[in-house]
Amino acid sequence: MKRIGVFVCHCGINIAETVDVKKVAEEVSKLDGVVFAQDYIYMCSDPGQALVREKIKQEKLDGVIIAACSPSLHESTFRAAAEEAGLNPWQCEIANIREQCSWVHDDRSRATSKAIRIVSTMVEKTRLNESLEPIPVEITKKALVIGGGIAGIQAALDIADAGYKVILVEKDSSIGGHMAQLSETFPTLDCSQCILTPKMVAAGKHRNIELMTYSEVEEVSGYVGNFNVRIRRKAPCVDWSICTGCGTCMDRCPAKVPSEFDRGLSTHGAIYIPFPQAVPNKPVIDRDSCIYFKTGKCRLCEKSCEIEAIRFDQEDEIIEEEVGAIITATGYETLPVLDLKEYGGGDVPDVIDGLAFERLLSASGPTSGEVRRPSDGKVPKEVVFVQCAGSRDPERYRPYCSKICCMYTTKHALLYKHRVHDGQPYIFYIDIRTGGKGYEEFYHNAEEDEGIVYLRGKVAKIFRDGEKTVVWGTDTLTGRNVEIEADLVVLATALVPRESTAELVKKLRIQTGPNGFLSEAHPKLRPVESINSGFFIAGVAQGPKDIPETVAQASGAACKVISLFARDHLEQDPAIAWVDEDLCGGCRICISVCPYDAREYDEEKGIATVNEALCEGCGSCVAACACGATQQRNLSDSQIKSMVTASLGGE
Amino acid sequence: MNEKTGLAPPKSPPVRLTRETVGAGFKKRVNELSGENLDACYQCGNCSSGCPLAQEMDILPNRIMRLAQLGLKNELIYSQTLWICASCFQCTVRCPKGIDIQGVMDTLRQIALEEGVDHFGPDQIDPGQASTVPQPGLVGVYRKLST
Amino acid sequence: MAKVAYYPGCALKDRSSHLDRSARDATLKLGFELDELPTWTCCGAVPPVSEERVMNLVAPSRILKDVRDSGRDVLVTICDFCYNTLKRTNYSIRNNEITRRRVNAFLADDEPERDYIEKKEEQWVDYTGDVRVVHLMEYLRDEVGYDAINRNLTRPLEGLKIAPYYGCVMLRPQNEIQLDDPENPAIIEDFVSALGADPVSYPYRTECCGSYLSVSSPDASTRLCYRILTSAQKHGADAMVISCPLCFYNLDSRQKAIAESYPDFKQIPVFYFTQLLSLALGVEEGRQGFDRHFVDVAPVLDMIREKTGKGGRE
Repeated sequence: MKRIGVFVCHCGINIAETVDVKKVAEEVSKLDGVVFAQDYIYMCSDPGQALVREKIKQEKLDGVIIAACSPSLHESTFRAAAEEAGLNPWQCEIANIREQCSWVHDDRSRATSKAIRIVSTMVEKTRLNESLEPIPVEITKKALVIGGGIAGIQAALDIADAGYKVILVEKDSSIGGHMAQLSETFPTLDCSQCILTPKMVAAGKHRNIELMTYSEVEEVSGYVGNFNVRIRRKAPCVDWSICTGCGTCMDRCPAKVPSEFDRGLSTHGAIYIPFPQAVPNKPVIDRDSCIYFKTGKCRLCEKSCEIEAIRFDQEDEIIEEEVGAIITATGYETLPVLDLKEYGGGDVPDVIDGLAFERLLSASGPTSGEVRRPSDGKVPKEVVFVQCAGSRDPERYRPYCSKICCMYTTKHALLYKHRVHDGQPYIFYIDIRTGGKGYEEFYHNAEEDEGIVYLRGKVAKIFRDGEKTVVWGTDTLTGRNVEIEADLVVLATALVPRESTAELVKKLRIQTGPNGFLSEAHPKLRPVESINSGFFIAGVAQGPKDIPETVAQASGAACKVISLFARDHLEQDPAIAWVDEDLCGGCRICISVCPYDAREYDEEKGIATVNEALCEGCGSCVAACACGATQQRNLSDSQIKSMVTASLGGE
Repeated sequence: MNEKTGLAPPKSPPVRLTRETVGAGFKKRVNELSGENLDACYQCGNCSSGCPLAQEMDILPNRIMRLAQLGLKNELIYSQTLWICASCFQCTVRCPKGIDIQGVMDTLRQIALEEGVDHFGPDQIDPGQASTVPQPGLVGVYRKLST
Repeated sequence: MAKVAYYPGCALKDRSSHLDRSARDATLKLGFELDELPTWTCCGAVPPVSEERVMNLVAPSRILKDVRDSGRDVLVTICDFCYNTLKRTNYSIRNNEITRRRVNAFLADDEPERDYIEKKEEQWVDYTGDVRVVHLMEYLRDEVGYDAINRNLTRPLEGLKIAPYYGCVMLRPQNEIQLDDPENPAIIEDFVSALGADPVSYPYRTECCGSYLSVSSPDASTRLCYRILTSAQKHGADAMVISCPLCFYNLDSRQKAIAESYPDFKQIPVFYFTQLLSLALGVEEGRQGFDRHFVDVAPVLDMIREKTGKGGRE
């Protein structure tokens, strides 16, 4: 016979004002199985919890019910108190008589009888509760970070510094991401490469980081703590283990391929290193552009390599790894200028996007840091910057704000003015958004001291007229349209998720939102986790943000991984689904209804099983199971039946 | 406040806003007649930027939208803008919020005409033109610019 | 010979009748006949100015319903305004149930008096917006095919640099019209290429010519037309090609006012697309009504004769 103790909380006046808590305690003490019932003013306080522990020992209770607020607030508190007193935590239940009773009713007598019924429902459950043990889940203490931009690099370094092994996978031949393309970063105007390369080098050298560049994730299976990943290492056609990065092959290659790193503003050979500070500093052969791969002729690189590092016959390799956690930090792309038809749609050569302008400004860029326009190499004197090119436009392009463009456009105008003293920058904006630390000051300094003309109005049309590029905009502040014949136009194009990310998430258990960015588990309180255990997210892949936020998220995601690895094993709540093997007919309806992919089929036995590490105890499979083989622990059919009877008032 | 008659009125009196002026009444009617939501406009100015007739207007299209948002009917209906708009739809096509600004202009014209603000009558048509201009030119004028 | 239901519209019947005749001539050469509706009214030219003006939808709906009742589901028109109005009428009727019911109630009201119409169905069936309205240029592109036209040319307009002018209502509002990309259209450029000529690209091809402002604020229209024509000229155009009778009127006859205000302005001949089509398909010169133009088109016609010889390729 169960010995259940019931503690009815006043919660100050929150419950006691509407529910007669003394009467509740009195009535429930008469129920079968209840040997003790008492009311108390604040159960969650220290004395309240002490009371629980005391009574468990005194009355030799083997079941405890706290009639109070929602279990989402204090279930874990009281279960911990119960455990301290030697009672199995799963014998402690919460009866919610606040959110589900006192807070939603006025009539005192009816609220009180409802509260009594709520408590007696939980008494019925507790009478049949079993003592449960948490389920231990092994953890492979190795992390996988997908994406080698600043987010991936930071996360990898943090996890590696904590003493755990990390695999950093990057699909390009070098890590660095878009930050490596930037000239200077706002608001400090630090040289981007100068602050990035030390981290890149550290990541390349760290004894706990295995760098796999020119690689992509092929397949992921398993569950938190126990993932199996297959990674494809694409063939660079160069033996990186002996290549010294001398660059002779790159000098000899006759092919001319537009440089992706330079946004098409320069070319390189088919064998190339994307930029001088690349980590690893080893070349790859782009097979689509290589003359040998296309026609069978050439092979100049092979002939010029003194250590014979060129390997045309190299094949892709598949590498299998076991990891415990996966961080996805795959970054972004920008909306192609081609899509913006009213802005020349790629037809006008002197209309470029922000990243291309970064390359023009960069000292290691195609023009060695001189601002020269693509069409004829002249130094532009009239430069128009157009913000919100494809952002904040729910009708035709992207509905969201890309967050960083206000800052980087001001930065661009400022840097341009520093280099071309007699040049005139114009910025067309709708709003100036400068929320970060030091950002507003940065903007005001630019506006006041740099001679930049800010025009409040969205540009409608940009077109070529002879030598000039004509911009039609407006200034809503004066109420007049503005027409500028520009030498160069820089569009602050929208940040968009990469197409490769859309492909990748099909292999991972990560959702994407309506705009294609990775979905976080909770927008406020869980920004760096996916709703599925073991998957974490960081950086612009989750949504537009600047570098400080990206680094913060990367460290946050790393911290989540470290806290996962710091335990001996994972503890899974045992009040989850289980299968009575004798009853299961192997129909597999349960597998199709599980939202967490936690139901599996055992071919040998011909029955459905529960992956206890993934099951969240939602009950979908329990409800769907046609023959009752699947049940939930501590929420069996018989428990539910008696709970329903009790909640309806008795017999 | 009592002012003596005979004083020239102030050039830019403040706009007096109340629940009635910004909520019900004029703005609501414009929304209903045009089928558009004036509140969706965030004053980006794209409509004005691309308007081919903007150079002929006293109040640019985005400002017309703003006056309508604030319920300022009287300033609107006497503007020249309503009569100079050629219904070319360039604004509608480019609005990032998908507002049919041309439709709002048509609605404002209807309201102005109802208030007796007439712009053009058949007697003002050049007789040479009346017999040669293709019919859409005449119908457009009659329906949109004339009571 | 294949026939296709054709709605000329008011302008094409009198003031711009030469454009209608050249259309009929040209389509005959292409193997189909523009079958004018037995009875029709003005379509209203512009859609209603507000949602409450449902009466303005009755006339265009009646036209479309007559087409449907005659057992056909496609209606071809060559006037941009009629195209725009009819197509948008369909859109309103399809997407707004109240409008659909009210319009049909009005149509049903005057149905008994229209006993001169031949109908395939005796029973009343509501018009629900399913007659497809097709611009002749669209019909040529999609049903006939520009390649087929090119093959049938006897007088290819080789070497002629022609600047297409789209106007406004042929393409916009694009969510209802959906003929081509309103920022970067290609339908008329491709048409010009099909005729053997070189299309000229210039930035003002989709900017308004003034439309009805030609009547109420002519100076505004003059300025707009000046911009359009000089831009085309700057980009090397010998002639303009147009698909809207009002744009045609503006860009052609307004050149007088332009010349008066801008002394440096040189005139440039303006053609309707059906006229060029008719010429290129070998219809006898003289049937296109060039004498009714303000700007003399002889310089361009000379270029055609020059390049292909009298009568052209046989």
